[in-house]
Amino acid sequence: MFELSSSSVGGQELFVLPFGDIVDYFTPYTTALFLFALVFTLICIFSKPEKQLDVAFGTDAIYAKDVTGKELHFRRFMAIACGFATMGAVASGDVFNFTLFVSMVGVCIIGIVAAVKSKHVLNAAYNYGIISMLATVPLFGGAAITLATTGTLSIWELAAIAPAMPWIAKALILIGVMGEGIAPFYAAKAELFRAPGAPYVIMIHVSSLLMFLRVVEIMLTV
Amino acid sequence: MIDEYAIGLIIALIAVIITFVAAIRENNDIHRLIIADLAEVSALAIIALIATDLAEALIIPGLVVGISELMALSEIYLTREGLNSPVKKPFRIEVLDTAPTIIAVILVGYGIVLSGFTGGAVAGTGMIFYFMGKRHAERFALIEAVSGYAWAFWIVAFFIFMVIPEYWFFAVMLAGGAILAKVTAKMSLIGTMRGGNNV
Repeated sequence: MFELSSSSVGGQELFVLPFGDIVDYFTPYTTALFLFALVFTLICIFSKPEKQLDVAFGTDAIYAKDVTGKELHFRRFMAIACGFATMGAVASGDVFNFTLFVSMVGVCIIGIVAAVKSKHVLNAAYNYGIISMLATVPLFGGAAITLATTGTLSIWELAAIAPAMPWIAKALILIGVMGEGIAPFYAAKAELFRAPGAPYVIMIHVSSLLMFLRVVEIMLTV
Repeated sequence: MIDEYAIGLIIALIAVIITFVAAIRENNDIHRLIIADLAEVSALAIIALIATDLAEALIIPGLVVGISELMALSEIYLTREGLNSPVKKPFRIEVLDTAPTIIAVILVGYGIVLSGFTGGAVAGTGMIFYFMGKRHAERFALIEAVSGYAWAFWIVAFFIFMVIPEYWFFAVMLAGGAILAKVTAKMSLIGTMRGGNNV
């Protein structure tokens, strides 16, 4: 029933779950991404927060900071939500749902960063949040232009039409995903490592990486 | 050939560019937050230009994302600036001591006559006014419980629509009453937000 016209990236579909026009699907490529997100979400669920060690340079002294799981409840929750959003974005077969899940990843990353009550970390979270709010404009704008020009948002149908998405929509979505989901572009990440909460920070990296891989696949397919 | 969609899109994109330039030039953090929200509104305008039912359905999730980001960022801003302690200066004028009861009774009564979401909004406005005028040593748990049960009734009404549609009138009444209670309860909580201990 469903055919991806270009199988160079996605490959054969393994599982298809249609909700009317919205079709969630897995190809070998997205399955790998999905499993990756799943594994890291499980790590976030089951791991204990690590204790941060500060080394005093020039001496042998090491200071261990005491971090309890209770302090990190919110970050754990946000990391898990981020994992689910990533899984949703990876499995989504709909351009608009993809952009929505990417924005959700953005909100969750703000949550992971902002849970630390420290001025420089909050500052980083705030700046990241401003960027991710601005990034919703190209993100949703790209999806809207796609809908207006092609009349559909389903990646399946877009892959079937020959000149599917206009290049401007592709460019806008790419810029949007960069701004929204791909945290490495921001100082927020550098600031993060000065805050406790090791296993949860990983979720930011994982989701950024997976968002990037998925958006490349979508751009090449449609 | 330029059709209406292209004209609208060009205008919206000009607005986006103006907003982005403003966001780059602005240094005040709270102003940047407001400008970012402005940019999101222009994103909604781009979606709305499609002008179909589907676009309408897409605007709501876009709006929700925008509002959630705005709320999260405002909280971050308040925490960073240490603005968490409320400003304790209740708004008092004489009419707030005498008028709330009668106006609340009128609005709630009219809201019950209207029923449904509109009625809930009208009755809720009355409740907000009442709570803002009067002292509010109310039982928030009770209001929340009423709201929760009302939601459950609302869902039950939907199931009646789907499973036994013959009883649609009962379901309409149930849903109308429940949504009235729910919206009223939710809105009345706004009137109690003065930064006290329980709020």
